[in-house]
Amino acid sequence: MSKQESDFKVITVLVIIALFSAVLLAYVNTITRGPIEGNKKAEMKKAIAVVLQGVDLKNIPQMPRQMKVDKSIVKYFTAESDSGALLGVAFVVKGPNGFSGDFDVMVGVDADGSVIDTYVLQHKETPGLGDKMNGEAFKSQFRKKNLQNAKWRVKKDGGDIDALTAATITSRAFTHGVERALLGFEKLKGNKH
Amino acid sequence: MNLKENMIRSFFTENPVTGLLLGLCPTLATTTSAENGLGMGLATTFVLIGSNVVISLLRKQIPDRVRIPAFIVIIATFVTIVDMGMQATMYDLHKTLGLFIPLIVVNCIILGRAEAFASKNSIGHSFLDGLFMGLGFTMSLFILGAIREVLGSGQIFGYALIPADWPTILIFVLAPGAFITLGFMMVGMNKISKLLEGGN
Repeated sequence: MSKQESDFKVITVLVIIALFSAVLLAYVNTITRGPIEGNKKAEMKKAIAVVLQGVDLKNIPQMPRQMKVDKSIVKYFTAESDSGALLGVAFVVKGPNGFSGDFDVMVGVDADGSVIDTYVLQHKETPGLGDKMNGEAFKSQFRKKNLQNAKWRVKKDGGDIDALTAATITSRAFTHGVERALLGFEKLKGNKH
Repeated sequence: MNLKENMIRSFFTENPVTGLLLGLCPTLATTTSAENGLGMGLATTFVLIGSNVVISLLRKQIPDRVRIPAFIVIIATFVTIVDMGMQATMYDLHKTLGLFIPLIVVNCIILGRAEAFASKNSIGHSFLDGLFMGLGFTMSLFILGAIREVLGSGQIFGYALIPADWPTILIFVLAPGAFITLGFMMVGMNKISKLLEGGN
């Protein structure tokens, strides 16, 4: 503490430390990039298999396509038969304005426009309350519902969806997200025919 | 320095969480389950060991005037390595802890140990200090997480202890539960610390 180092030494040491860190991180990044991408793809694949249960997935694309629904970007994977007929679509939608921000949900829609199943990809909702949206009790009510046979609001707002106990905001966002997927499906069908 | 004394110090009297009250942000936020607590603790331990060793190694080279920026660069490097490593190997755990991993950079324990210990002691001692302090931190987070998971969700490590439709004490997985549990833990840990000090 007593002796004052020269500016030159101070700058050199900091630069060397920073350079060394940069090289090390670049190296770690090259090693981990592959596995991280792989993990993300595996997660997507798993989710698609869940939400498009019973649909032939052999022609599913590797990369999703995009469209705009309701001012929000929606990614989707289409499952088609060999002859090009639409078998089902897996949408990745945002549950807007959840309790802790937006969350990503994958929604599978069959050729008739009804929900097959849902899968929460990532969220920051409260553990023990909002994260029950991934539970069977909540998810099961969405199956086989479509834009015609259900009102896409939680019961508190006059709709048909049973909200999770003490997590109405999460349920609202989730319901809205699923509705977006169905709107996206209509749009997709409208474009095709 | 005697090993046993060192361990008692890191685990009880100077335990980062219950003794020094350092790094409480990740402590309170991530301990909603035993697994999360353990994961956060081990990630921090890795960073603590790494930064302690490197800082101790460079302690004669780093000029006093810029020691804090130098320490932060070294710590941030290790944190980023942990972040990328976890994404590559433990993707699911990283999804829950993700937000808090980069925050390890500003965890006071790590800079605190760098400043108070590693910058003045040999590599071997700094390594042990990082290891014990990290394990002390991990132990606290694990206990905190386990208590909150059992009371708040009725589970331990994701295995249900009670039927799913039984009510649980929800407040324990929420923020107030973290404070309440930490308060009671500190009472217990202070008692143990006193007994250990009296016994020596």
